[in-house]
Amino acid sequence: MLSRLSNPTPIAASSQMILRTVTNQMKWKLSQQQHVMGATRNYATLKEVETRLKSIKNIEKITKTMKIVASTRLSKAEKAKVTAKMIDEADKQFFNNAETTDHLKTPEELGATPTETVNKELIIAISSDKGLCGAIHSSLARRVRNYLLDVKHECDIVAIGDKMKMQLLRSHPDNVKLAFNGIGKDAPTFQESALITEKIMNTLNVDNAYNKISIYFNDPITSLSFEPTIKPLFNSLMIAQSPAIGKFDIAQDENVPRDLFQYTFTNQILTAMAKGYAAEISARRNAMDNASKNAGDMISRYSILYNRTRQAVITNELVDIITGASTLD
Amino acid sequence: MLRLQLSNSLKVAKRTYADNAASTIASGLKLHFALPHETLYKGSPVTQVNLPAQSGKLGVLANHVPTVEQLTPGVVEVLEDGKTSKKFFISGGFATMQPDSLLCVTAVEAFPLDSFSPENITQLLNKAKEKVSSQDEKVSAVAKLQINVLEDLQNALK
Repeated sequence: MLSRLSNPTPIAASSQMILRTVTNQMKWKLSQQQHVMGATRNYATLKEVETRLKSIKNIEKITKTMKIVASTRLSKAEKAKVTAKMIDEADKQFFNNAETTDHLKTPEELGATPTETVNKELIIAISSDKGLCGAIHSSLARRVRNYLLDVKHECDIVAIGDKMKMQLLRSHPDNVKLAFNGIGKDAPTFQESALITEKIMNTLNVDNAYNKISIYFNDPITSLSFEPTIKPLFNSLMIAQSPAIGKFDIAQDENVPRDLFQYTFTNQILTAMAKGYAAEISARRNAMDNASKNAGDMISRYSILYNRTRQAVITNELVDIITGASTLD
Repeated sequence: MLRLQLSNSLKVAKRTYADNAASTIASGLKLHFALPHETLYKGSPVTQVNLPAQSGKLGVLANHVPTVEQLTPGVVEVLEDGKTSKKFFISGGFATMQPDSLLCVTAVEAFPLDSFSPENITQLLNKAKEKVSSQDEKVSAVAKLQINVLEDLQNALK
């Protein structure tokens, strides 16, 4: 006893060490048990499991509601997509017949073969402001980014939608010349696209500064999948230089190419926005569907855990009471 | 046997010719009339379409010369089968006549003519006429455009 008192530190240290290893072992065993059985035995965890279960249930409610909202919007978006596609088709007929290409001829080459060289390109990337719809914005932004890494010529970007703006500003802050937000609250309208095109044409010299214009947007292939797509846009010079424009009897003095370009520009933006909107809504529906399913899985797991924990707590209390009672006897 | 084969091959040949002939006969005027929010005609066969083009009023029949026309506010008249005609008032757009007798009309807005109320038009016209003498150039320019469209509409309804 004396010896112990005279030299208390080593023993204390060793006992502490033993204690630590024991607790570590216990912790390890507990975690193993938790892992295998999914049960722990105290009040605090029961409460924790309960709050967690509640929060997951709330999340499931939110994702389910968002899914329903997306589903109801889907039919409207699909309708907008189909009608916008029809107007696009009417324009496409003309460009197909006139064999319009986006390769502009230089003055020396007029009459000769069109060149493949592009000096400056305008990229119009269309997404929206809203998230929570899977990888739809980032896959389109990646497509644009990859293209920018590949090409040698100068590119200006117009980003439509906040998500696209954020993603492209991070990687190519100098290329983004113009950005729009407030997109994707509802199905796009002609007025919306007209305002966008007007702003683009007032800010950038679309007609003369670029000899290639591309629109990047998400094309909904089925209700489950979408694909980042590129669509060429023809400015008035390209329209005027179409190889087969001679097929058409166009009054020279009325500036048809200029007006036609402004009109098709608006239409093309509208179509791309409508398609992008439809793709986004269906992607959101799917994302929210998956999120609800995952939440459902978690809920069932946690309710089993909760019930088991509750039972364990009750059993423990009963054991305590019985042992207490039996010691009194 | 040889003769049978020959006649068979002849039949096949005849059929392709007949198909071609049928397709040329069937290629009357087709109308594709699209709005940003609605599709009115989707390649449906029609007899004649009258358009309010910038270069003057224009009647389009089958095999019209391919052309591109800018449309002004006015009435588009679609003669579906010689008897029934449908009239739409459009706010402007483009009409492209394709080489294969397909007429593509795209407009920003189009409404059937009988859906307009003459009283409302006179009311709006009076309002626009008040604004036309405004000091603000923009307001008076907009009012002038309004007057043009409304007067066209009024004339069309008479």
